Amino acid sequence: MLNLILRRLGIMLLIMLVVSMLLFFMNEGDPKLVARSVLGPFAQDQQLEAWIQQNGYDRPIMVRYIDWLVRLSQGDLGDSIIYKVPVNEIFWDRLANTGILAGVTFLVMVALALVLGVLAGIKEGSIQDRVISFVSIITTSIPEYASAVILGGIFVFWLGWLPGTSSMTAGFNPVELILPVMVLTLYGFGYIARMTRASMAEVMTSQYIRTAVLKGIPYNRVVMRHALRNALIAPFTVIMLQFNWLLSGVVVTEYAFGYKGFGALLLEAALRRDIYVIEACGIVAVFVAVTTQTIGDIVYTYLNPRIRFS
Amino acid sequence: MAKKNVLNRDKRKYLLPMERKWGAETHCYLPELTDQLDRSRIDRRDFLRQACLLGMTSAAAYATADALLGRPLGSVAHAAETPKPGGTLRVSMAVQEMTDPATFDWTEKSNVARFIVEYLTRTRADNTTVPYLAERWEAGEDLKTWVFHLRKGIKWSNGDDFTAADVAHNMARWLDPATGSSNLGLFDAMVEEYDTGEKGADGKPKMAKRATGNAIEVIDDNTIKFNLRKAALAIPENFYNYPAAIVHRSFGKDTPADLSKHPIGTGPFDLAEFRVGERAILKKARKWWAGDFHLDEIHYFDHGQDTNAWVAAIISNQVDTMYRLPVESVETIKRIPTLDVLTTTTAQTAVARFRVTEKPFDNVNLRRAVLACMDHDELASKGFNNLGVPAQNDHVCPIHPDYADDMPKPKRDIELAKKLLKDAGYENGVKLTISNGDTDGPWMTSTLSVLKAQCAPAGIDVTINKMPSAQYWENWTKAPWGYTSWTHRPLGTMVLSLAYRSGVPWNESAYSDPAFDKALDEAEAELDVNARKEKLKVCRRILRDAAVIPQPFWRQISKAASKKVKGLDVHPTLYHQFQNVWLDS
Repeated sequence: MLNLILRRLGIMLLIMLVVSMLLFFMNEGDPKLVARSVLGPFAQDQQLEAWIQQNGYDRPIMVRYIDWLVRLSQGDLGDSIIYKVPVNEIFWDRLANTGILAGVTFLVMVALALVLGVLAGIKEGSIQDRVISFVSIITTSIPEYASAVILGGIFVFWLGWLPGTSSMTAGFNPVELILPVMVLTLYGFGYIARMTRASMAEVMTSQYIRTAVLKGIPYNRVVMRHALRNALIAPFTVIMLQFNWLLSGVVVTEYAFGYKGFGALLLEAALRRDIYVIEACGIVAVFVAVTTQTIGDIVYTYLNPRIRFS
Repeated sequence: MAKKNVLNRDKRKYLLPMERKWGAETHCYLPELTDQLDRSRIDRRDFLRQACLLGMTSAAAYATADALLGRPLGSVAHAAETPKPGGTLRVSMAVQEMTDPATFDWTEKSNVARFIVEYLTRTRADNTTVPYLAERWEAGEDLKTWVFHLRKGIKWSNGDDFTAADVAHNMARWLDPATGSSNLGLFDAMVEEYDTGEKGADGKPKMAKRATGNAIEVIDDNTIKFNLRKAALAIPENFYNYPAAIVHRSFGKDTPADLSKHPIGTGPFDLAEFRVGERAILKKARKWWAGDFHLDEIHYFDHGQDTNAWVAAIISNQVDTMYRLPVESVETIKRIPTLDVLTTTTAQTAVARFRVTEKPFDNVNLRRAVLACMDHDELASKGFNNLGVPAQNDHVCPIHPDYADDMPKPKRDIELAKKLLKDAGYENGVKLTISNGDTDGPWMTSTLSVLKAQCAPAGIDVTINKMPSAQYWENWTKAPWGYTSWTHRPLGTMVLSLAYRSGVPWNESAYSDPAFDKALDEAEAELDVNARKEKLKVCRRILRDAAVIPQPFWRQISKAASKKVKGLDVHPTLYHQFQNVWLDS
């Protein structure tokens, strides 16, 4: 087990190194483009040259890359071009905000999806299965930018129940989280529910469940004790994958509701070529992706002995 | 001429008693201006604008106009109710970085800053320019010297006196190309080109710009004189252009050029909290030298770039008003009983300008062919939800005082377009690509779609290259063909000077014609409104003949506000002037 963890961590580091290289080469490969991004469209050629020399961009790219890695490992993310402050000053607040949004969404979504998936899976082909399956397919096929407008139309314009934006202007307000969480959940729960349903349905047809039922164990107990544990292995992988989706899914949702998170920051940085913010966001996104996958793999091994011993 | 006989040459008559006491002088043109108003050769608004520009105080100008035209004195809108002091106005607007006011390139940046740092003059929502930090000014007869008398007794928030040294410091920064301020183009008459002594790659000597030697002359603590290379009329109006806020004399010299970190100002507000991309909280910290400022606090909240979010914010009462209401949402807001829609006609527009140095747009016949395809009425109605006013491809607006309405309106002529295309060497049609960032809203794409359809019958196949708005602004001066939005400017000469004079930073079309520059210089030096209209016609004709800018329409702009917000005007340039705003609880 320890061997496996170490191996996974090694691969994780390697992936991050490769991605950081790609990120760096794409963003800072051309010193002139960097200077143009920093100094703006009015800067003259001489100003660009002067900037390149002053900031050491005339050095070979590998030297600059290693220099950047060293600074990154010391926590220096550079200065934002559009915000004109160190990236560190804005980045961590934004990431924490996204953490809150993604965390709440995750709890709501996974709970809802598992319950619905199990309900659908225990009686395959029943009315409740058909309804749940149908609804989850429909909601999964509505992208966030559309459901944001539809839900906003209903709850903000028509009913007037919920605040229209989630900028937390008067401090943290849980009510402002409802719409973005609703949008993200609506899009994300269907997939997990469908996977849970399939897995559950398969388990319910297995012989040990039939034996348990025939033995006279109460149906609830059969489902909770015997079926559920085995049925959750497959959805678990999907759930871990949802972390990655959440990181990209929040971009659209945060934008639609003016939520001050990581996604909105990344979108704005990408649109306005704020390269140091893009790099910071990129590295963190990769870190989250690789870490959740590693955790997923390890827990999966723990859940499924067949993988552990092979 | 009969005119001479009735002309009253007693200039002192145009001063209020108080100003006489100060020893104020009047411009020699004022009597003639008054005469023109009396004979209805100019209208009230033209008179007010001109008189204020030439240094008559607004009170005296309004009084003169009222005396001649018989209007009641003090007829100011919003005067019906007594303002209640106090309260917080919440505004939805992008909160952008706010380092150096001289380099502001977005009005939003200046709107947060303008409650901290102020301007020498102020252009009101009715397009007249009145005194602000400067209490009056005088122009020389040839319009080549301008003397500004600064108001006495104004203090900076750090306790220093506001003096001519502050103004001189600002002007010197603007005129230094190293600052990178767009004011350099506005105050072109104080700038000269000189040989740097170096040689460029092409062997020609490198030229650079700098302020002329005697441009800025501090006369005493409260008087500053500007000596111009050539006559210029709009100097007072230029001082209210949004990057012209006056910062403290230590700014960029003793302290770093960062207003958000060193917010020293003459205004009544302090910057209590500033988080770029999130919020700017302004709190009233001192008595305003100019009188009452009803609001206690102004809160700006950034709801991102999604216009749906702005509308959602005001509908759910998260803010009281907004920077601007997207034209697509005007009808929605009108249906909400707690909200008002405020609309005003402006010289805001967008021009599908060609970069005339880039192939194939260096071909004037090709450019003319595109213009010949345009049906401006259809573009205005379909492109801008019937809130557009058809334009005429010369960037001078009917609400500009120097607009002459007797020029022929452009007409759609497909046969002519085909002929021009043939002359241009594109007998079998041509494919053109226009860059568009929807920088001011999706109506820009709608408008270009109409343009595309109008161009098709002539054999011009237009592709709309849609890109994110920020990406467009990154390349707006470089795109070979681009659809750029331009904000309102109070005079026609101002916008032509900013955008089409040879070599100025915002000349996105790279258009350069000495004849145009000369005609523009002459128009800017002309005081007589009617004569200036004629002189500006020369510029407009040159610009139209050169077919530099297909310009579909002028935009009416709107904003939404809660009904409890009183005294709020929509400024044609979306500048925030909240000194009359108060909240009715």
